Amino acid sequence: MAMKEPVLLKRVGKMTDSTSVDEYITYGGFAALQKAVSMDREDILGELDTALLRGRGGAAYPLGRKWRHLYGSTDTPKYIVCNADEGEPGTFKDKLLLEKDPLSIIEGMLIAGYVFGSNDGYIYIRGEYRHIQAVFHQAVSNALAAGYLGNKIMGIDGFDFHLHIVSGGGAYVCGENSALLNSVEGKTGRPRVKPPHLADVGLYLKPTLVNNVESFACVPAVINMGGEAFLQLGTKDGGGTKLICLSGHIKNRGIYEIPLGTPLDEILYSEEYGGGTSTGRPIKFCHFGGQSGPIGTSGQIKGCLYDYGDFWSHKLAVGSGAIVVMDDSVSVVDYITSVMEFFVHESCGKCTPCRLGTTRLLELLQNLQHHKGRPGDLERLEKMLEHITYLSACGLGQSVSVSVNSALAGYRDEFEACIS
Amino acid sequence: MEILIDLQFASEEGYIDQETAAMVAEELHMTETRVYEIVSYYAMLKDKPQAKYVLKICNSSPCHFSRSEEVCLSLEKKLGVPMGKTTDDGLFAYHYIPCVGACDIGPVIKIKDTVFGNLNDEKISALIDDLRRGKIAV
Repeated sequence: MAMKEPVLLKRVGKMTDSTSVDEYITYGGFAALQKAVSMDREDILGELDTALLRGRGGAAYPLGRKWRHLYGSTDTPKYIVCNADEGEPGTFKDKLLLEKDPLSIIEGMLIAGYVFGSNDGYIYIRGEYRHIQAVFHQAVSNALAAGYLGNKIMGIDGFDFHLHIVSGGGAYVCGENSALLNSVEGKTGRPRVKPPHLADVGLYLKPTLVNNVESFACVPAVINMGGEAFLQLGTKDGGGTKLICLSGHIKNRGIYEIPLGTPLDEILYSEEYGGGTSTGRPIKFCHFGGQSGPIGTSGQIKGCLYDYGDFWSHKLAVGSGAIVVMDDSVSVVDYITSVMEFFVHESCGKCTPCRLGTTRLLELLQNLQHHKGRPGDLERLEKMLEHITYLSACGLGQSVSVSVNSALAGYRDEFEACIS
Repeated sequence: MEILIDLQFASEEGYIDQETAAMVAEELHMTETRVYEIVSYYAMLKDKPQAKYVLKICNSSPCHFSRSEEVCLSLEKKLGVPMGKTTDDGLFAYHYIPCVGACDIGPVIKIKDTVFGNLNDEKISALIDDLRRGKIAV
């Protein structure tokens, strides 16, 4: 099932200057915004519902439902925030959009601004992407000059939208939406305790929409083609196309746009996409959706469709779109230890279960790695995972267990072999 | 935070010294402690002088299993200092960092804003020589 026409990457590589408003319009840009401002706001929400566009940051929450929640909030002002703090290892798709088609993200945010009558948007761009921040600044000032940002956008009275660019500082946890808002406010980027939902109490304690870069970039596509057509691109469990990032021991590492529902075997083995392993050895497992996503064994992933529903039924997850491929030379215990090192480094330290939990988990895993495991270690590991999942305050701690549990489920014998 | 990042990038030794922190605090009407809270929280901000070229090697799992360890061995051989130590001339230091979003070209070294990918022993050696001779600006 090859892509007929790219949806998200249709302009990438064609524009000579990705920040140019003229070029953007030549390749179909701002048509969706033009259409949106002639539509009833309820109808826009209806199209997004029909499209079943799931959040592309990783949580896969239907975007339409998130927008409706904010729509129903009566407090003002409302803020529109774009999460461009891409920091999931194995994920580099947002970087491409930010650099090669920044105006599509701005257009998505503008449509949100129109729907919610909001005058201020913020985009929080990962600190490590400094060169991309410069590109984005250029795109914003071009849009401003062309009348697509600022006051009276497209000459419409009352349609004012100002976009502010905020830089991250190298903290993975700031990709968590409430931590991100704290960071925008100039505080240390630690997560807030939820509820309240950010759609009720968000940035500066006002109702706030936070969506991922790719999600915002999908919004113009939904408006242009209509919700039904967008849904048809994917499957009944999630519409549209998805950017995937192939890395690890795969021949053709990189970013690809695929329709949701593409067979995973095609993604991994066809020359058009992954092209098999880079090492010539067989694939042992794939890690999906980032560090906090599940690991799928070669047996488990056989015959799967890259689709939200099919993945869930196989205990997998699309997540951010990352697919880290490992060949059979890799020990799963080594791999999981490496994942845990990341979590220890990135745990913000606010809540004890995550701060100490990740550290203790790493110690235990390192023991196993050195074949110094003791009887009962796996049971201890499972207990700790349970604690950290239920007691951590935010998504970081809560999802630490996902990769470890999936590795245990697939390769328990390898872990047991580490116990003397 | 952006102010601090920009100041740090503009600084000679790549860190926020106390004078700078005090100035930022005064300008923004906050305490120095608050400024240091920010500096110590965010990994990009430093409160100690850094080597002129800090070579950051991504060691998150996609890179870790794409031979990032060999990058360290190459650097140790070439520079003669272990990870975390600065060379005597004050030019180089190297350490691991988490994902820089360049997983498609791992193993990678990041120096300031520039990422060098698909590395091997020869490329690393050439990179260090070029930096020494000022042939590459980062």
